[in-house]
Amino acid sequence: MKNNVIITFSQATINYQQRAALEDISLDVYQGEFIGIIGPNGSGKTTLLKSILGLVRPSKGSVQIFDCACHKLRCHHKAKIGYIPQKGQIDPNFPVTVTETVMMGRYSSLGLFNRPSKRDKGLVETALREVGMNEYEDAPLGHLSGGQQQRVLIARALVQQPEVLLMDEPTTGIDPPTQHSIIRLISNLHKNLNLTILLVTHDINMISPFVDRIALLKVRLFAIGTPSEVLNEKILSEIYGKQVVVTTKENGLYVIVGDYHYV
Amino acid sequence: MFDMLSYEFMQRALIASVIIGLVCSIIGVFVILKNLTFIGAGTSHAAFAGVTLGYLIKFSPLSIAVLFSLITVWIVGYLSKKGYLKLDASVGIFYSLTMALAVLFIGLMKVYNAEVYGYLFGSILSVTKLDLAIIVLLGVVVLFLVYLFFKEFHFITFDEEMARAGGIPTGWLSFLLLTMIALTIVISLKSVGAILVFAMIVTPAAAAYQLTYSMIRMFIYSALIGTGSSVSGVFLSYWLDLPSGATTVLFVSFVFFLSVLLSPKHRTILTAIN
Repeated sequence: MKNNVIITFSQATINYQQRAALEDISLDVYQGEFIGIIGPNGSGKTTLLKSILGLVRPSKGSVQIFDCACHKLRCHHKAKIGYIPQKGQIDPNFPVTVTETVMMGRYSSLGLFNRPSKRDKGLVETALREVGMNEYEDAPLGHLSGGQQQRVLIARALVQQPEVLLMDEPTTGIDPPTQHSIIRLISNLHKNLNLTILLVTHDINMISPFVDRIALLKVRLFAIGTPSEVLNEKILSEIYGKQVVVTTKENGLYVIVGDYHYV
Repeated sequence: MFDMLSYEFMQRALIASVIIGLVCSIIGVFVILKNLTFIGAGTSHAAFAGVTLGYLIKFSPLSIAVLFSLITVWIVGYLSKKGYLKLDASVGIFYSLTMALAVLFIGLMKVYNAEVYGYLFGSILSVTKLDLAIIVLLGVVVLFLVYLFFKEFHFITFDEEMARAGGIPTGWLSFLLLTMIALTIVISLKSVGAILVFAMIVTPAAAAYQLTYSMIRMFIYSALIGTGSSVSGVFLSYWLDLPSGATTVLFVSFVFFLSVLLSPKHRTILTAIN
């Protein structure tokens, strides 16, 4: 699995509003890897995902995906990257159904002037089944619960038939049992579809049992490695500046920061 | 009752009302969902300033209206894209700037020109053969562009950043949409008027918004409401001898309030009435 590098950051510095959002990042992501990206607010986690999408470009160094500079990606390359942005509040009255939302995922693969065909409709149905939302095809997106909306947005990314999934805090604003079911869904998709996944989150404990590696960001890449390598008190307290306790639980490590039960 | 259709000016009025009703209501869906409502108002004033300049220098008023409204939407779009100023603030500046120009140009004319005021309130019965040709041509161009880039506009309307991440060329498509809004306003200017055109764009789409949760259906409902109201407005204004633009706007506003009452989104209102 670890032979093919799919994404490469080489000493990449990315500025946002005249200050470095990411500085001197060097990182190889291998095909089929599941990487959790953690770090405090403003540490550049979202910028990291946006640089892979080519929405922001490095002022120094380079970011490459599929052997192509990210800011020069063509549509057919972009179609291979599924992106699930941090979910804002969806207006409950906005006129868009579940099927219409997922179909938008096909638009980048179709290219200009082409219309969705029967095959595209079939792919939408399959993607909705994969996330367990096939019974909600005609439901207004705004009427679903936060967890259901997130499943639909995952289906929209899947319908692109991506090789890479980039997710920005997919469990924020969702109740804990649903958070776990979403993470389990993502983990199953990772295994079944051999996807490369980069997932930004604040919840270290929820993702650590599922990910291959954890990247700890605070403008610079402070640590990258397996959960047991990165999740130690010394490294985490350096970044979060608080008293950090790492204990063990039945399914692995458990991180407690300060008075909070999450990081 | 329909003997009026034997008049050539009525035939022209009807064809113009169908096209204007259709184009305005389709573009209106994008305007409502992308929160571009105010840009419609600003652009129609810019177009009116163009018309007044046309009359002042005795050069095709509609061509100068096209120029004025395109320059307005492009500058406003550029300022907002570059992050210099929010869209509604820059539209606000152009709204009054172009109205000031219109007042200035009217002042410079020295003589009263009733035709200029026709563009302010609209008169579909005065649409000439040349006007109709321009309405048909530009109307077809706008509708064809919507057809051609429908799925891209659909995606951008829902989530512009996602569309950009997915490789949709959002930059020039956003400017194309603004251009189409400007052209829609210009073709409606003579028949609906600079002040009322705004209602033809916003109201049918706002009524359709009440009735459905599907974006595709919103386009269909808006087109039906817009075209239906536009044609009904022409008939009613003829039968009742009322100004056509005002009649159409009152009719479509009535449909809007009806759709609010019947909206599945506000069932509570219906329950309260019952």
